[in-house]
This record gives sequence, C-alpha cells and structure tokens, in this order.
Amino acid sequence: MKGINPLAVAVIAGLVALALPFVSSDYAVSFSIQLLIFLVLAYSWNWIGGYAGYTHFGQVGFFGIGAYVGSLLNFHWGVPWYLAAIAAAFAGAATAVPLGGGRMMKKGQFFAIGMFGLASVLEAFALGFDSITGGGTGIYLKPVSDLRPIYYVVATVAMIMLLMTWRLDNSRLGLKLLAIREDENAAESLGIPTTRLKIGAFVASAVAPAAMGSIYAVYLGFIDPPTAFAPNMELTTIAMVLLGGMGTVLGPLVGALALSVVNEVLWANYPQIYLACVGVIVLLAVLFMPRGIVSLGMKNGWLRIGRPLFRRLAVNAGQAPS
Amino acid sequence: MPVADLLIGGILLGGVYALMACGLNLIFGVMRVINFAHGDILAIAALSTVSIAVGLKLPFWVAIVAVPIGCAALGALIQAVILRRIEGAPMIMSLLATYALSTILVNIAILIWGGGYSGLPGVLSGSLRVLGVNVSISRLVSFASAISVSLVVWWVLEFTRFGRAVRSVSAAPELASISGIAIERVRLATFALGTAMAGFAGVLVAPAFAIDPQLGSRFIIKAFAVIIVGGMGSYPGAMLAALLLGVIEVVGSYFAGAVIGSAFLFLLMLAVLLVRPRGLLGAGVRV
Repeated sequence: MKGINPLAVAVIAGLVALALPFVSSDYAVSFSIQLLIFLVLAYSWNWIGGYAGYTHFGQVGFFGIGAYVGSLLNFHWGVPWYLAAIAAAFAGAATAVPLGGGRMMKKGQFFAIGMFGLASVLEAFALGFDSITGGGTGIYLKPVSDLRPIYYVVATVAMIMLLMTWRLDNSRLGLKLLAIREDENAAESLGIPTTRLKIGAFVASAVAPAAMGSIYAVYLGFIDPPTAFAPNMELTTIAMVLLGGMGTVLGPLVGALALSVVNEVLWANYPQIYLACVGVIVLLAVLFMPRGIVSLGMKNGWLRIGRPLFRRLAVNAGQAPS
Repeated sequence: MPVADLLIGGILLGGVYALMACGLNLIFGVMRVINFAHGDILAIAALSTVSIAVGLKLPFWVAIVAVPIGCAALGALIQAVILRRIEGAPMIMSLLATYALSTILVNIAILIWGGGYSGLPGVLSGSLRVLGVNVSISRLVSFASAISVSLVVWWVLEFTRFGRAVRSVSAAPELASISGIAIERVRLATFALGTAMAGFAGVLVAPAFAIDPQLGSRFIIKAFAVIIVGGMGSYPGAMLAALLLGVIEVVGSYFAGAVIGSAFLFLLMLAVLLVRPRGLLGAGVRV
C-alpha cells in the first residue's frame, strides 16, 4: 500500500481524462464538462473563501458576467468561443478590481453582504436592459456540434487551477493568506500587506469563473438571466469546497466529485428538493465537519497517498480558537 | 401631484423596511451573526398569513398574534440547534449556516405553497386621502404598525432591564457574563425577538404586496441596503435609512421601471460600502 506514488496517480488520472471523450458516451462527456466547470468554480472560491477566509456569495455574479460578455461577443460579432472566453475572463477581472479596490474588503461581513446582492442586481440589469441582453428571452447561440474541444479546454483549466492551488499551498503567499484567515490583525502586525493580498485573491478568484460562464453558455447554446446568475450554482460551489475542505489543495476536488454524484441523483429524481438538500449538506458540514472530508481522511489515515499535499492543511479552519 | 405621491409611497414602503432591518440589526449587534434567512422568515410569515386568513378563514388579527409567535419559536429553534453550536467559530461559519438555512426555507416554502403569487385581497382594503393623495389603507396601517413596533423595541432596548442586558452583551460579552447576565438566554431572546420582528413585517406585507416564496430574497437585499446605509448595528440609523431608501426606490422605479428601481438601492449600498462602510450613523463595527 505504501508504494502508491502520487505522481503515478496523477499520470493515470491525466491519461483517463485524455482518453475519456474517445471511449465513452456523449452523456459522460457532457457530465464531465459540468463537473469540470464546477471544479474550476470551486478552486476559484477556495482561494478567497478557503485560503483568505472571506465568505464570497457573489461568485456566480462573475460567472454571469462572463456568460453574457462571451455570448454577446459570440452572437453579435461571431467571435470564436475560446476567444470569447478569454475576453470574458478579462471582463471578470475588470469588474472585480473596482469592487475589491473599495473599502468593502476591510471586514468580512461587509464583503459578504456586498457580494451577496451582486448577482441579483446583475440579474436585474440583465433583465432590465433587454435591448442589449435580450431580457428574459435570453440569447440563443449557434449549437456546438462537437463537445470534445470544450471538454479539453475546461479540463486544462481545471488542471491549471489545481496546480496553481498546489503551488500556492506550498508558498509563502499561501501561508500569508492563511494568516489573514486565522487572525487578520496579527497578520497585519507581522507586516503582511493584508488588504493588497485580499484584493489580489479576490480578483484572481473572479477570472476563471467568468471564463467558465462564457464556456457554459456555449455548452448550453443558450443563456438567460436565471441561468447565468443561478443561486444554486453559488450554493453548490460553496458546498463542494466546504464538504471537501476549505483552504486545502485536494478539498475542492474531493468535494466536487462527491457532490456531483449527489447532484446527478437529486436532479434526476427529486429536482424540487435539490436546493434544500444541498442546503442541508452545507449546514451539516458547518456543524459537524467544518474542516471537510480531506481533513477527516487525514485524521483517520485514509489518504496516505500524496500526504505532502496536506502539509499545509489549516489547523484551525472552522474551529473555535482555543 | 407626483412628488407628494412618490414621497408618501416611498415613506410607507420604508416603514416595513425599517421593521425588517431593525430585527436584522438587533441580531447582528448582539450576536455578530448576519442572518441571511431573515428575508425568508418574512416570506414564510407572509405566506402563513395568507393561509390563515384565506385558507382557514380566520380573522386577520389571529395572524397578527400567531405568526410573530410562530416566527419567534422558529428563531429560538435556529439559535438553539444551529447558531449556538458555532458561536466561537469564525464568522464564515455563521454566514454559511444562515445562507444554507435561507435556501432550505425557500425550498420548503415552495413545497408547501407552490411557486406562484398569492395575496390577501379584502383585508384592509379601500383608501384614504392624505395631503391630496390617495393612500391605500393597508399600506397606511402596515406603515403605522411597523414604525410603532420598531419604536417600542427601541424603547425596550434603551430603557428596560432586559434592554440593558442586551446592550451589555452586545458591547462586551465577557464583562456581561462576569456581571451575572445569562448571555446564552439573552442571545436566545434576542434572536427570537429579531425573527419575530421579521415575522410581524411579513404579516404587514401580506395585505399590501403580491407575495411568493422568493419574496425573501428581494426583501433581504433591501434590508441589507438599509443597515449598510444606516450603519451596521445602529438602530436610529436603520430607521432613518429605511425611510430614505423607501423614497429612493419608489422614485427610482417611477423613472426607470421597477426592476432597475430596486437595483438603485443596491448600487447605493455598494457605493456606501466602497466609500464609507460604517454608514451614515454607524459608529463603526467592533469585532
């Protein structure tokens, strides 16, 4: 058992991911795209929510901005979807910079409230300015015949996010973010430029979701305000990170895998209680497992492989300071 | 005379916001918990009011008495079962917990009442002429009741023994505990009182607005805007800001349409957050 090499696991996972579109059904590819999009969202959220410890309820706002920027470029000017996604990523960053630059980031509760309303207000604008966005009717894009390019792009982005999180976790920058989460005043007094790092984490966490929004619109072939700014997208992402383990490298991956199976079963059989079920999962995780599956596995020795990955597992995430 | 019309409409709307925001502010001030489920409690209260008055055909005053009590019980349950367990944990945990609670409540409300709109026609119908403007009685009554309840709670907080206990737990929990105040009981009572205020606001909303299970998410953002603009934890600030934002919303909707009009409030809130997070009358937030 001890012989399992994390590198070998990564290589095998990579090969499986590469081969998947050629050996499996369209359904599996489609499901994988959704899973990978959620994975990217979860890793982005993990940077600001998990590492810096700032509760971010507005990520779906950036997702929606990206969806609209990408769709409009694609629809009006025929910009190819991958270029539109890059433009969407810039739009996400451009929106995040002024929001992060204000004094809202001074305190977690201001940030939480400010971001909470962002998505619903953007949705109101998307509905209200119907001459640009098509209002409630939405925008219909040309359907994509082959999902495989989308799959590979999204898989690459997800892998980059994972690698970046791994690098972050093993760097001084990651430690500084964790210090902000654990005690912001103490971090400040140690000379950590807390405000700058928080804004940086916030802006960085807005880029990939915006790109994913644009790709998601292409994948669906359609976008309207309730789809672009769906609250269940937000809740599901947060639930994934929380369930897997906030501020860990593998937490979002574990959480996304675990929750997307649950999602698939729930959506297929009980769509009317989907939100409540995810809500209950979040609530139970907050009450009984605030450090997530990853740290639980760590404690019980389930996850021997890749132990170095958990080196920086935050000690006090979600626990009362004692 | 559209100016008087808009002004009165806005102030009447602001009354309900005041009641709701004061409950939210009270809970935040004492427990440092931002209750994202506050709006959904209001929505469930409004839907229950319709069920009591239309479904069970009971008189309206039954709802006025029963619904806030039910909401207080719900609040006490939430505090005892969930929030009490994560009191020492970082703020992110209570934020996530109330956020999850909010989605659970919305979903339950949709399961019970369905997704459609309902209302309470025939209760407090008719209108009065005030300053040459026709004002519907239901809105006038809901404004008057909302403002008086907010003022009564303010008086309780300022001038009674219980109010002093609440304020001391808010200012310095450790010192309050040393002075013999049962802080757990005070927190439980505060949370129940705050949710009861949301419940009463829900009862008042029922005759005046079209209501549905998603009502909570629309109201909570306005309540957030009110407490941010007024200053988090400041009771008079919230009441003042509620009236101000009510007027801004009504005027904005008149000129730019309802969807954009309510988005104005949020833009104002964002502006305050970006420039002066402690709000108009807030003394800054102690953490």
